[in-house]
Amino acid sequence: MNAAGRLRASGLGPGQEIRVLAASGQLGNGIPEKAFRAGLARNPHVICCDMGSIDPGPAYLGSGTMATSPEITRRDLDLVLTGALELGVPLVIGTAGTAGARPHLEATLTFVRDIAFKKNLTFRMAVIEADILGSELNKYAGAGRSRPLGDIAALDAETIGRAEHIVGQMGIGRFQAALELDPDVIIAGRACDTAVFASVPWWLGYDKAASLHMAKIIECTSLCCVPGGRDAMLGTLDGDAFTLESMNPARANTPLSVAAHSLYEQADPYRIYEPEGVLDISSARYEAVDERRSRVSGAIWQPAARLTVKVEGAERVGERAILCAASCDPRVIERAETIVEEVRTTVAEIIPPDASPYDLIFHVYGKGAVSLFETQRSGQQPSEVFFLVECIAETAARAKAVVGVTKQFLLHHGFPGRLSTGGNIAFPFTPPELTAGTAYRFSIYHLIEVEDDAELFPVRVEQVSGRQADGAVL
Amino acid sequence: MRLIDVAKVIRSKNAGPLHVTLDLMFPDKAGFDTASASKSLEAAAIAKLYGVPVEKVTVIPYAPALALKIVIDRPVVAGSPGDRDVYGAQQHRPLLDIVL
Repeated sequence: MNAAGRLRASGLGPGQEIRVLAASGQLGNGIPEKAFRAGLARNPHVICCDMGSIDPGPAYLGSGTMATSPEITRRDLDLVLTGALELGVPLVIGTAGTAGARPHLEATLTFVRDIAFKKNLTFRMAVIEADILGSELNKYAGAGRSRPLGDIAALDAETIGRAEHIVGQMGIGRFQAALELDPDVIIAGRACDTAVFASVPWWLGYDKAASLHMAKIIECTSLCCVPGGRDAMLGTLDGDAFTLESMNPARANTPLSVAAHSLYEQADPYRIYEPEGVLDISSARYEAVDERRSRVSGAIWQPAARLTVKVEGAERVGERAILCAASCDPRVIERAETIVEEVRTTVAEIIPPDASPYDLIFHVYGKGAVSLFETQRSGQQPSEVFFLVECIAETAARAKAVVGVTKQFLLHHGFPGRLSTGGNIAFPFTPPELTAGTAYRFSIYHLIEVEDDAELFPVRVEQVSGRQADGAVL
Repeated sequence: MRLIDVAKVIRSKNAGPLHVTLDLMFPDKAGFDTASASKSLEAAAIAKLYGVPVEKVTVIPYAPALALKIVIDRPVVAGSPGDRDVYGAQQHRPLLDIVL
């Protein structure tokens, strides 16, 4: 019997407290070790980690690469794997490798197998994939069972066909299916953050609303504390309420700090949408247990008639090159917008965009380059401006050619009243034009209605063996 | 009364790649009540401030945390060409000038 089976066989269930240790909300960015070890000392029944997010942008889902460094990813995986196996409790990791598509999942599994080999660890691992085939997604788009999750075009076959990777956010059901296979470790592709942390309590029959609400709060570890941080959090659930405690004694959960966390990165602070239904936290109660622990209750679980799965896809836009330059000449700064447009025209004459179109984007920092909204782009004249010039073209060579030509004409552009005939801009280093890799965009961010998600998110089991194991394979 | 003198947190962040969410948090109920009742923080005023149609703006008071949440559609999908703030963490600037 393995960790999941032992947990169930122990008779753990409603009426007894279950301790969920949230080790990381961003595994691979460096888990603070002291607080994690303090969490292990509390004998948690399960250790959970979130390893990804859509927040870092489309580059990771598009390219299949991780946002975190191999060195720290490996360190963090080693920490949680070793910790869970020493305690003999399940380890649940969701959204493997930043974006949770197959290359992210496989890269994560490679780290895990390598750590197991080098440290001589043997365990049973359940793996849940989250990739959605284009042909499968087409069925939902065609049948009118998909809808955009905001200001993005409706799904069609062309958009689906162009996507580099498409993933669905799996819900709790798939983790429960994996737990039935009695693993020690579960590693999932793209998953709802809450599903990672609520799966074991749900599986053991704990109150669904309280389990999910606790999951929603601890999935960011100690971010819900004052002061906020990344230290491990312990959630202790009993009955229909749970207690929160940061594993760093310097961080406190106060009723206000915990309630405020419901706002974080959420469009609706009262409702949390899951594949299986909606968690209504409008009547939740937050009470202080002591100076640094809070107790939460009162959320209501409303199961949905049908499963809904959030689908994410990213497509390649082109190759990106950038130019870095700056100016402190008041006349250049005053006329920056005009100069930029005149240079754009000159560049288009030398490299006509008709044959092979390219985007040339000028970010003039100091003159309203940060706001997404037009009303906020004017202000006082700055003493310096930074020109970040970006070109996205079909090939890296062309993108670099465009920023190279732009550099030269921006440097020597003539304008009325110009004093700076030696050059309009300063370069911080050479070469100031750099290739910046492939550019991607999110092309799919939609909800699909599904009858059964078992086929979308298949579970497989692998026996991972250390170097001294006898080679037993499942 | 200026918003920056009443609020203790004025922040922005993406809520998914298609929305920016702005959170205003207050240290006490008096501040929260003043802000919740202010015309300057109604959807129409926020829409004008950000230069977007009013239907792109939602304002949600959240009493449990003495907070007001504002959600605005992103004019550019996060991380797409032409984006300026991939995490949406610097879109709160216009709120700093609000007078309640």
